[in-house]
Amino acid sequence: MVVNKPSIYIYVNHPNENVLREICSGIEEEGVFYEIIERGEQDLNTLTWMAANDSMLGSGIGIKENSTAFIIRGLTMGKNLTYYAYPSNEESRVLGMNSARAIKKQAFKNM
Amino acid sequence: MRLIAGVDIGNSTTEVCIGQIDEAQKLTFVSSTSCPTTGTKGTVANTHAIKSALKAAMSKIGKEISDLSLIRLNEAAPVIGDTAMETLTETIITDSSMIGHNPSTPAGVGQAVGEILRLDEQRKAEAGKAYIIAVPREYPYEAVAEITNRLAEKVDVVGMILQADEAVLVENRLTKKIPIVDEVARIDKLPGGVLAAIEVAPPGQTIRMLSNPYGIATLLKLNSEETRMITPIAKSLIGKRSAVVLKTPGGNVKENVLPAGEIYLKAEKEANINIDEGAVKIMEAVSEAGTIYDVIGQPDTNVGNMFAKIRTGMKTVNETTEEVHITDILAVDTMAPVLISGALAGETCLEKAVGIAAMVKTQQLPMQKIAERLKADLGVNVVVAGVEAVMASLGALTTPGVAVPLAILDMGGGSTDAALISKDGQVAITHQAGAGELVSMLIQTELGLSDRHVAEQIKKYPLAKVESLFHMRMENGQITFVEDSIDPRFYGRVVMLSESGLIRIEEDIPMEKIVQVRREAKQKVFVTNAIRALQKVAPDKDLKKIPNVVLVGGSAEDFEIPEMLMEEFAKYMIVCGRGNIRGKEGPRNAVATGLVLLSLD
Repeated sequence: MVVNKPSIYIYVNHPNENVLREICSGIEEEGVFYEIIERGEQDLNTLTWMAANDSMLGSGIGIKENSTAFIIRGLTMGKNLTYYAYPSNEESRVLGMNSARAIKKQAFKNM
Repeated sequence: MRLIAGVDIGNSTTEVCIGQIDEAQKLTFVSSTSCPTTGTKGTVANTHAIKSALKAAMSKIGKEISDLSLIRLNEAAPVIGDTAMETLTETIITDSSMIGHNPSTPAGVGQAVGEILRLDEQRKAEAGKAYIIAVPREYPYEAVAEITNRLAEKVDVVGMILQADEAVLVENRLTKKIPIVDEVARIDKLPGGVLAAIEVAPPGQTIRMLSNPYGIATLLKLNSEETRMITPIAKSLIGKRSAVVLKTPGGNVKENVLPAGEIYLKAEKEANINIDEGAVKIMEAVSEAGTIYDVIGQPDTNVGNMFAKIRTGMKTVNETTEEVHITDILAVDTMAPVLISGALAGETCLEKAVGIAAMVKTQQLPMQKIAERLKADLGVNVVVAGVEAVMASLGALTTPGVAVPLAILDMGGGSTDAALISKDGQVAITHQAGAGELVSMLIQTELGLSDRHVAEQIKKYPLAKVESLFHMRMENGQITFVEDSIDPRFYGRVVMLSESGLIRIEEDIPMEKIVQVRREAKQKVFVTNAIRALQKVAPDKDLKKIPNVVLVGGSAEDFEIPEMLMEEFAKYMIVCGRGNIRGKEGPRNAVATGLVLLSLD
């Protein structure tokens, strides 16, 4: 039997390193696990939505080049909870934290 | 056919009722409305609210204000209410000597003792000594972990204080696990080279050592005198999940008991009560005092200042030079979370406080002036007629199912008024200090809200906790699902269910705590006052001689106050309920309706 680890999925396509690192830091600070998975050429909305759908925790992040978004399972594709075209380090960190807070049922930061 | 308007100016709302009298002297009510009162009740500033309320009511039936043939103003109860709050104790921390807060993600567990060492002064570290490292925001977490790991080979690193929210990130990269407190805003105020104790509680628990005076004494090796002085710190750390206490030389934490002072009751039976004795003692003295002519606070004390404040406030309202006499007070014990001066992470301490609502009887509110101004502005005949409480009783009688003898309880914003109509039409009236505004003030102070407006909303609306983007749990435990997802701004928060949608509460306070504070505030003010007021008007001061009580006024619309009163009055076999003016207005509009009714004869 294959059991997936309960973690947040981050689906990426040529991700900006800074954005990815800060998002991972944000999730780590909140004490939740994550997995980074490289997906081929797909648009950001699809990446994000698929990540949430595949994650056992129902929380997913997409990063395509500089842009990033996060969503939770149950929302329609494109209805991202946060979306940034060119996030600052601070914004990326908070996005990561919020994707973890969504699972911990804690209020989002800076929203 | 004539159109007549009744206008009731209240402390917080102005209400209008429009009646139409046809040739056969038959009265039909055609429109009514209410809007917030402008200015203090009984001043000319009220005309703005009156005009807009009249306009709104008339436009409902497609008419202009000029179509009215008469406007009747109530002879407003000659009482003005005001509230004040004063803390009786205060905690002063002259030097920064502690941190105690609830960062969402501290790291590590346990307690430790060491000297404070700023990361930029790490070269000063002496081998073999124990240190707690303080790290400003500028350092990235990888660097912090690396430097600390290297430092730990030479000295004993036992704990860490971070300015940024990165405790877990740093801890994951340390070779030796230590307690880490993060999100400390004023880290620059931490003095280096001082002995300190740090504690982080396990998940789901609160700290145990640093919230205990003997725990602090054990860790910092204090003698009995120092332990006594550190007690306020331990007290203010109760319930925290992480804390740091510094051992600073000298006694620089003080818990002051402020000179609260005495209240002097000038009454049939004079009395002096020290405010330290608490609200219960004060209210006992007030009820035993008989008719009160004035209430004075001891000069140059907290309570003295409090009454002086109320008095000057009243004087400006009154626009007269006559002496202001406070004829009733309602005192309520409360606790207020007060920001500790010199705090490093915005810590607060619960201080004992007392809230007081005072009521001033004036000779006569300048209602005639308002009437003249309205007449000049609108060109409609305006008369002042009808004592407020009598009008309210008259209006309350339009509630289906009531009969005389009947008592009404008018719970407004500033005062709680009671009137009893006996079988032969005699009316007994009383006004008591303390109503909706005192409740708002109690909610505001006990929850430590920065804004009175939020307290007003908490008073008015039931709460819910948004538990996911698709459902929320109401304060009674019921779960509601939504068709579309909830706005993520509300996620994980306590919200108020207002008519126009959800309102989020910014402060991070558990829903249960808010509900408890709200209900207690309402109990303390309204249940106490309802009994006090009815006792004054009841025959032989016996509540059991009142068969019916109708609740009217703004606070009767509240979603829980009427139920609280019904429960209380059930003990006295009284039929009590929310009024339903004209069978459709609910508890509002009683006075305005009474005014229109009166014009029938």
